[in-house]
Parts: sequence; C-alpha cells; structure tokens
Amino acid sequence: MNELADNLVMLKVRDGEVGKLGILFERHHIALYNYFLRQTGRRDASEDLVQEVFLRMLKYRQGYRGESRFTVWMYRIARNSWVDYFKKAKREMPWDDGMEEPVSDEATPSENFEENQKLAQLRAALAKLPPEKREVLVLSRYQNMKYEEIAELLGCAVGTVKARVHRAIKDLKDIYFELAHEKTI
Amino acid sequence: MTCQQATELFPDHLLGSLHDAAKPEFQTHLGNCASCREEVESLAALWSKLGALPKEQPSAAMRPRFYAMLEAYQQGLQHSQSAPRLREVVDGWLTRWWPKQPAFQFAFAVVFLIAGLFIGNRLRTPAHDDSDMVTLRSELRSMRELMTLTLLRQDSPSERLQGVSWVQNMANPDNALLSALLHRLDYDPNINVRLAAVDALYLFVEQPLIRDGLIQSLSRQTAPLVQIALIDLIVEMREKRAAAALKQLIVKEKINADVKQRAEWGIQQLL
Repeated sequence: MNELADNLVMLKVRDGEVGKLGILFERHHIALYNYFLRQTGRRDASEDLVQEVFLRMLKYRQGYRGESRFTVWMYRIARNSWVDYFKKAKREMPWDDGMEEPVSDEATPSENFEENQKLAQLRAALAKLPPEKREVLVLSRYQNMKYEEIAELLGCAVGTVKARVHRAIKDLKDIYFELAHEKTI
Repeated sequence: MTCQQATELFPDHLLGSLHDAAKPEFQTHLGNCASCREEVESLAALWSKLGALPKEQPSAAMRPRFYAMLEAYQQGLQHSQSAPRLREVVDGWLTRWWPKQPAFQFAFAVVFLIAGLFIGNRLRTPAHDDSDMVTLRSELRSMRELMTLTLLRQDSPSERLQGVSWVQNMANPDNALLSALLHRLDYDPNINVRLAAVDALYLFVEQPLIRDGLIQSLSRQTAPLVQIALIDLIVEMREKRAAAALKQLIVKEKINADVKQRAEWGIQQLL
C-alpha cells in the first residue's frame, strides 16, 4: 500500500512536483541513515550520504520509470553514492575501519548490563564482517527487502543472494562467538 | 530431503519466506537430522538477536539541511524554466527584425553604436535606484551565505574556522547555515572548529533549532573541552530540559572528572 504510494509520489516528483520529495524523505531518511550507519559506522558520513541520495533522486528523477519497487531504486542510488563517497574519502583521508559507539545509552533499550554487552559484541561482530556480506544482511534483516529485490538491486541471481546471506550469517556467528570467547579469557 | 537441500532453504526460513509447499518436508528433515536442526536454531537465534540492535536517530540538523537543499533546487528549477522562455522570445524577435543582407547588418550595428554612445553620454551621472540596490544587496547576501556554506565544508580546518567566523558576523543567518554550524559542532574532526562552533552558536540560542541541537549535541561530544564549553552554554540558555541531558552525561562510564563536576554544577544552576 505504502509502496504503491511511494512509486506514485516519485512519479509526481519526476513530473515536476519536486516538493513532494519531502514525503519520501520523511518516510525513508531514518532507514537510509541506519543503512549507511551500519555500512560505514560513521554518523557524519551517514548524514552526508542520506543528503546525497536525495540530491541524486532529484538529479536523476527523469530516469525514474516506476517499474520496480521504489526502495530498490532508492538503494541502488544509495549504493552508488556510498561507492563514490568511499573512493573520495579514501583519496582525501585515510579511512579507518572502526565503528563509532552508539550515541547514548538511550540507543540501547535494555537496562540489563549483560544484555547491553551482548548487543555491543554483536555490533562489533557485524562491523568485522566484510562489506559485501554485511550488506546483504543489512538489506534483508533491517531494510525489509526480499531476496528477489536484493538480487535485482545487486544485479545477480536470487540463489546467489541466498547463498551470500547464509555465508554471512554463519560468518557472523563465528565472529560473534570468537569475540565472546576473547571477552571471557 | 537431503542435508544439502535443507541448508539451501535456511535463508528463506530465516526471512520467513519459505514456500508453503516446502515447509512440511523441511520440518520433517529438521525433526530427523540433529545437526541441521542445531545449525538452523543457532542461526535463527542470531538472526533474531540482530533485530534487537536498535535504530539510531540522525541529528536534528539533518531535516532542515534536506529542506534547504530541496528549496534551493526548486528555486534553481524555476529560474531555469523561466530563462529559456525569455531567450526564445529574444531569439524570435531578433530573427524577425535582423536584416539578412550583410550591408544592412553593418548599417544596423553602426546605428546601434551611435545610439549607445548618445544614451551613454546622457546618462553619465548615475541615478540611484533603490530597488536595484535592494536586489543587489540580497544577491550579495545569498552569495556570501553560499560562500560560507562552502567554507564550512572544506577539508582544511582553517578554512572551516573562517566559515564559522563568517556565520558569527552575520545578522540573520538562515536555517541552512545554522544547521551546517550544528553539523560542525557534532562531527568536525578538529576540536578547534568544534569549540569555535560552540562560541558562534551562542549568538543564536534564541532559535529553537539551535536549542534542540545544542542539547542533543551534548551526548555526541567526547572531548572534555567541548563538553565543558557546551555545558556552560546550555546553563546560560536557562533551558530546563537540559538538566536531563546533563544527568545522562554524569552517569556515562568514561566521563572525565572535570566534565562531571561541571555538569553537576550545571544541574544545580538549572534547578
């Protein structure tokens, strides 16, 4: 229902009602921000990238056909923006792979100390995963994308996406338990 | 169903997109095969744990920044839509009136030159037109704002510092500039730029955007110097809501002792 509306809104933006992009911003900016945050681990970069995605939507709006789901188109732009940003950042300053800590304790809902530590370990494990594996996990787990849509986005077969998700979650499990083990030593 | 076939269905099982037709056979296999069952259970546990990682909210500066960009784009669009129309009109007019013969074209050019010299001579004393001055001033102002925004995004810290001081000297910076300033405060890698941003924002604390941004920024800062400067500013604002943010800061694990002391003092002031 919402999806249909997303497509319609974007078609209107394409046809000149540019102000309607605000609707799409309100609907998707937090999801996009978290997508970038999980990929880059950097808040400032993630905010810049969200802005870049919406700017590119305006720039390339004439090319929007509305054939596939709006989010597939949006994440295609997001991936391209991220690749370009990464290239530029690498040229200008050394990119360190570390992830920033969550902003405040508010961000972790659990009051339980042990539970918080487990979440921190999981976040660290996710950060250690190679980007291409982390990406399929982030897209399927957090961005609510179906495997068919991820395949369309990445330009590969659905089977490849499933295999990658399987390997990614297995690797994540290994890293997670490794970190937990290091903690207990 | 073989173990290999069952393994291929794990990702669908995790996402809850397993086909109805495949479900019974998959479940039967799990019932019979302990290793597949253990594997899928551990992966599913981790999958659901991933769901517990909370979403983060972007900073307060993000929304105004987007809308400023959108507005600038719309203005640019309107401008470019009206510009070609004007050009078409002028082009059409010229084709209609411009003579085809080179000799006439030359004569036309000479006539225009003489007329131009004559008019120029008559208007030598420039008349002051207020509306022109107002337009010019507003154009100059938006140029300056654009320049400042660009400065704030430069790689060199000294240029960003210059950008901060430019904002400081403006009478009424718009939301895009203020958001950019808040962005510097939150994320600038250079501590001097962050400190300068605190000082500059002091001038605009009457604006709700800035008040919210400053309070939110308190939890983002890690350098004690910036934290203390922010605490002082927030106390100065007499903003009651800030007490909660200060209390949160105090209970942070890695907080610097001086910052903690300052925050406690701040809470006292705000009560």
